[in-house]
Amino acid sequence: MAPVLVWLILFLCLLISLVKYTLALILKWSVPGARVEKDYTYQPTVSVLMPCFNEGKTVYETIESISNSNYPNEKFEVIAQDDCSVDDSYEWMLKAQRDFSNIRVRVGRNTVNSGKARTVCNALQLSTAELIISIDSDCIFHTDAIRELAACFSEPKIGSVGGRVGVRNPNENAITAIQTFIYYAAFQLYKVPENWTRSVGCISGCLFAIRRELLLEIEPKIRSRHWFGIPVNQGEDRFLTHQTLLRGYGTYINNDALCWTTVPSTLPDLFKQQLRWKRSIVRDLFYTLRTLPQHVWTLHPNTVLTLVLTPLGALLGLLVVITMMSGNPMEMAGPGPLIGYLAIAAILGWVIRKYSTREAVNNPLAFGAYLAWSVVSSLFLTTLALCTLDSRDWGTRVKEQEVSDGDASRQEST
Amino acid sequence: MATQVVKKVPEAKASVIQPMLYKSVVTVYRIFAIVTLYLVLAGVLAYGFVMGFYALNTSWAAPIILSPADDKSLDFTEKLVTSRQTLEDLNVDKKKLEDGVAEMNKHRAALEALEPELRTAIVREKQHDQATGPELEELDKQKQADNVKTQAVMAQVKEVEAEIDKDLAAGLITKGDAATQRAALNQVQSAYTDSKIGEVLLTDNILEKTTTDTKSLDVLDKQAELISEIAQLDIAVGVAQKQIYEETKQIASLKQALATAKQTPYYLSVSGNNAVNFAFVPYDNQNSAAVGSAVYDCYLNMVLCRKVGTVKQIFAGEEHAIHPIFRTDIRGFLIQMQLDHAESAKSKTVFLNRKPLFF
Repeated sequence: MAPVLVWLILFLCLLISLVKYTLALILKWSVPGARVEKDYTYQPTVSVLMPCFNEGKTVYETIESISNSNYPNEKFEVIAQDDCSVDDSYEWMLKAQRDFSNIRVRVGRNTVNSGKARTVCNALQLSTAELIISIDSDCIFHTDAIRELAACFSEPKIGSVGGRVGVRNPNENAITAIQTFIYYAAFQLYKVPENWTRSVGCISGCLFAIRRELLLEIEPKIRSRHWFGIPVNQGEDRFLTHQTLLRGYGTYINNDALCWTTVPSTLPDLFKQQLRWKRSIVRDLFYTLRTLPQHVWTLHPNTVLTLVLTPLGALLGLLVVITMMSGNPMEMAGPGPLIGYLAIAAILGWVIRKYSTREAVNNPLAFGAYLAWSVVSSLFLTTLALCTLDSRDWGTRVKEQEVSDGDASRQEST
Repeated sequence: MATQVVKKVPEAKASVIQPMLYKSVVTVYRIFAIVTLYLVLAGVLAYGFVMGFYALNTSWAAPIILSPADDKSLDFTEKLVTSRQTLEDLNVDKKKLEDGVAEMNKHRAALEALEPELRTAIVREKQHDQATGPELEELDKQKQADNVKTQAVMAQVKEVEAEIDKDLAAGLITKGDAATQRAALNQVQSAYTDSKIGEVLLTDNILEKTTTDTKSLDVLDKQAELISEIAQLDIAVGVAQKQIYEETKQIASLKQALATAKQTPYYLSVSGNNAVNFAFVPYDNQNSAAVGSAVYDCYLNMVLCRKVGTVKQIFAGEEHAIHPIFRTDIRGFLIQMQLDHAESAKSKTVFLNRKPLFF
């Protein structure tokens, strides 16, 4: 009975995914209503919040890319908040503040290491702008990014808008190539049906725009997030998106607002990053299930579907891989699945090369390695995420740093 | 004031209880998580070990319980019955053909014996005709001459008859004498007629003996029919013998096939009353399968092994099976096991010749 149930759920997930991707293609090509109506004359004041932890010189490059933005300089500012980095990140922030005088750059520093979510909240204290854009300090932004994000807020019911995150290092190795494909498919296909109903389940923290009043309303919740008394400082982007939806606002991904991030290039880094994401997904599922009636009555069915199915798919992946390995371990090793993956890789590779030259992957066949990664990811990451929900470890940026439980506050700012 | 105190006490109590509750939950969760993770780790290591073990091991075999009701056995039984029935039919048919050939040969021999006698009779008759024909021609000529003379005499008979009438009218003779004389004259005339008939018959007889008449042709026709019948019998015997030859070959093939079928595990399965234990051996493990070699059954498919029997027979035919662990299609053959522990026939795998891990 149990295997039948697993396969039935898997079949449904696959069916829904297939319908979702097919719908995405139809919407993308033939339904203008799937896209938000952008008003470029709408130019609110913007605060770009940039929490930073052990990024080194990258923060300088990030601020530099923002300084090149074509949004009116007098209408936006950068608030860079250091979360007690143990490297020279703070110095690079100060240098950027000095060098990019065409825009207003404000630099702050937490008294104790507090995690990204609380650092964003600390940076928010310095802001008075109408629109808040939270960014990752390791990203490079397109000159149109702020303008594109702001233009979407002309639609009053839009609460949060995200940008498309591209990969800066697509050809570093097979690991980065795989992620390039996944990032591209996620933004250009998977999120399109969610865009249609303004119900994107997770806007990436790399480029996250939100109305100021909404963020202020959610801020106490961010600060008080905990798991049985243990502060939660991961997955603030998913949490913010979820809270936006629950407050009756729409969420949207504007694929014309571009930024590029450097994705993990080693398996340990990728593992840590994905583990962090999985924990967020699992936490979000528990939260959704705990408040399911509220979700069902107040949210669009597609939103509920998105919020439930995405994490459920991750959990099911675990069951599916176990069933597969105990039932027919060689099933995924046959030529059929490999050819299927390579065909998907070839198509995606061609599409990326045609529409996003900067991310063109030299060897699309590297995507075939995703087969192995998906097994590792499904089998270990979900289990590990389920068993380490009490972890506060960010994973990829820790450098001999004690992590504090305390609710940190901005100690100094310039 | 009192109300404020009452309100503050539950809050203070809650602020003490909640952290304790959280701590308890987290502690239980961590214990559960650690146990789960170690179980997962152990499971993954065990899984990897099992995979590696079966990838490298060359002595495993997969026991198979052949039921008379399974598809292969049913198929085999059906073919066996059909083959036996065909063999019976062929034997009956061949016997009929052989009897027919014997009968035809007998008939042919009889016809062949008749043919020279007929030929001799024809020759003898021809020789006789050749001898008597000219003689009869001579006699015919004499007969004709005699008849000519008799005819001249017959002209005088009329005159004698007139004399009789005159003598009677003159009363020279009595009526009785006249009648007696007339009767004598009639006998002469009758003899003459007989002589003429004899002449005609003689001419016919000469014609028969000196020329080829229809009676001779009838005899020749009979001779031709006899020869034709013998030739037809030869053809029929030839066809029948060819058919007998073909059927003999078919019978031999079927007997060979049945003999081979009796050497298969399926025959043992469907024909025997006792349970017969078989195992599938992949070709990679062929070297471990020898008649008389020990069969080991293990716990967890690889450890704490014990000897449970021996290999009794090795079957030659190729079989396909699904790998018990990798679930891939593999080629190999079946062996018959003599098991001391019947429950080992239900194990996922057994090992031949040696224990897989030395214990």
